[in-house]
Order: sequence, then structure tokens, then C-alpha cells
Amino acid sequence: MKVFIDPPNSLILFDLVERFGHEPLSTMAALQERIDNIEVDMPPMNVTLDDVVSGLKYAGIEVPSGVRGRLAVWGPMIEEADAAIIVDDPPFSFGCVGCERSELMVKYLIKRRNIPALRLTYPNSEEEGKAFVGKIKEFLEGLQ
Amino acid sequence: MSEERETRLLMISPSSRLTPEMLARNIHSMGVEVGLKETCYGCLIEGRRESVLKVAEMARKLQGNSVFSKRRAYRMGDPVRCRAQHGTRPGYSQLEAEWAALPFIEAGLDALDKGEKYKEIPAKEKLSVEKLIEICEVKL
Repeated sequence: MKVFIDPPNSLILFDLVERFGHEPLSTMAALQERIDNIEVDMPPMNVTLDDVVSGLKYAGIEVPSGVRGRLAVWGPMIEEADAAIIVDDPPFSFGCVGCERSELMVKYLIKRRNIPALRLTYPNSEEEGKAFVGKIKEFLEGLQ
Repeated sequence: MSEERETRLLMISPSSRLTPEMLARNIHSMGVEVGLKETCYGCLIEGRRESVLKVAEMARKLQGNSVFSKRRAYRMGDPVRCRAQHGTRPGYSQLEAEWAALPFIEAGLDALDKGEKYKEIPAKEKLSVEKLIEICEVKL
């Protein structure tokens, strides 16, 4: 099954979803397509006109362009997903996902699609790590 | 999705005894046709999708659960890296932040392999206003 991960460029979530036998939907695959086929120099920093237009499907024209640009990449993946794993409150300095409004929009879009979703926080100790991995395994095994 | 080329990033957990050099040698000895680049955090591999997936699967089993992998959008020889040219790509801070949490994930995967059950850890509550007032007004 296709599982959307949030943060969408997370190494930990990508690895765990793949280990437990599902297909993670990540930013990397979407950006690779732009690099290989459209030859955009530096996605997601550089966008095409099509990206800007497709972002309008998920966020209104009055929404900041950064949010629309992000949703142009993540929105189609959320539509494609059969399930989602969301890590709440990632440190705010996290690279290209450092936008709280986009995060809220992603959670809203997932909720609106009504797909099974698991919400977690990043582990800070071994015990939390065990619970983090255990919950993801249970969730992914429970997907039909 | 382009199925032809896939670039993967293999990252070693900081608690592991495996070094990027050892990982690179192991991958070379697997005899699978992939390009490889040793980096400070592990390796980058690039090649046909099936070959790359095969190597990633074998690399994960090298030493416990200490090797993690994810796809990379940019090619292996991408000139933008670290501080060499215009700084890093935007995903690098994400990697840096998650690198610190890898030992906890490794412990979780090891516990699963041993068949251990995890304990439910209650979420941390936010500091209440009453508690904050109490802390502020404490007389030392």
C-alpha cells in the first residue's frame, strides 16, 4: 500500500515504511521527476508555472506562495496515498518542511481524505524509540 | 516516476561500529552493478532501481539495524554538497536532525527482533499556568 509520510523527506519514516513492506510516498521521488524530466535546477526552490497552478488546487490564491509551492508537490501524493504517518511537532528548523502553515494544510488534507493515519512524535530516548517503531509496525501490519 | 535511475542514500547510525569505508567495501563486494560514493554519513548509491533496492536491502542487514536508507532526488555526482558550492540542498537539515534520533530507532528495531513488547509512554503535558506561577514565586 502507498503510505504518505510527514515530514515528507523523512529518512526514518521512509526507511521504516519500506522495511515493513509498504511503499512510502516521499518528496524525493516527486522532485526526482522534476530533475530528470523537466530539468529544473533546484527544486523545490525553483518551480515551474505548472507547479504554481497545481498548488492552487490545494490552497487559495491569498495563501503565501511558499505554502502553495509545497502543496503542489505534496498534494498529489496525499491524493494517491492509502494511509499516512504523521510526526507531530518536528523541530521548526527542519529544512524545506520548516513551514507550520503547510504542515497544518497537510494534516487537514489527510483528514479530509479520511484515510487511516498514525500520529506520533520524534523519540528522545530508547524507550520512546521502541514505542515509535512498535506503533508504526502495528499500524502498517493492520493496513488491508 | 522515472523507473530507470534511482539514487539512494545510506546513513549509518551514530551508535554503530560500522564506518562509511567499511560500508562502501561491503557494497563493492556484493557484486551488484551500482555506482557508489562514500560520504561522511555513509554512502550514496546509484543505478537501476532493482539493483539499488537489492543493495539497500542487503546493506540494512550488514550490522544489526544500524544502516538506514532513503531515496535521493538529486544524482550522486550533484555538485551542490556541504559547504563546497552554495551550501547544502534543503533536505540536509532534516537528515542532520534525524541522524541524532537514529540510535533510538535502532534500539526499537532491535527490540522488535527480540520480540519485546513496547511500553505506552504518556505524552508530556504542557506546563500549567498555576505551576508556572508557583515556580516564579518560589522563595530561595
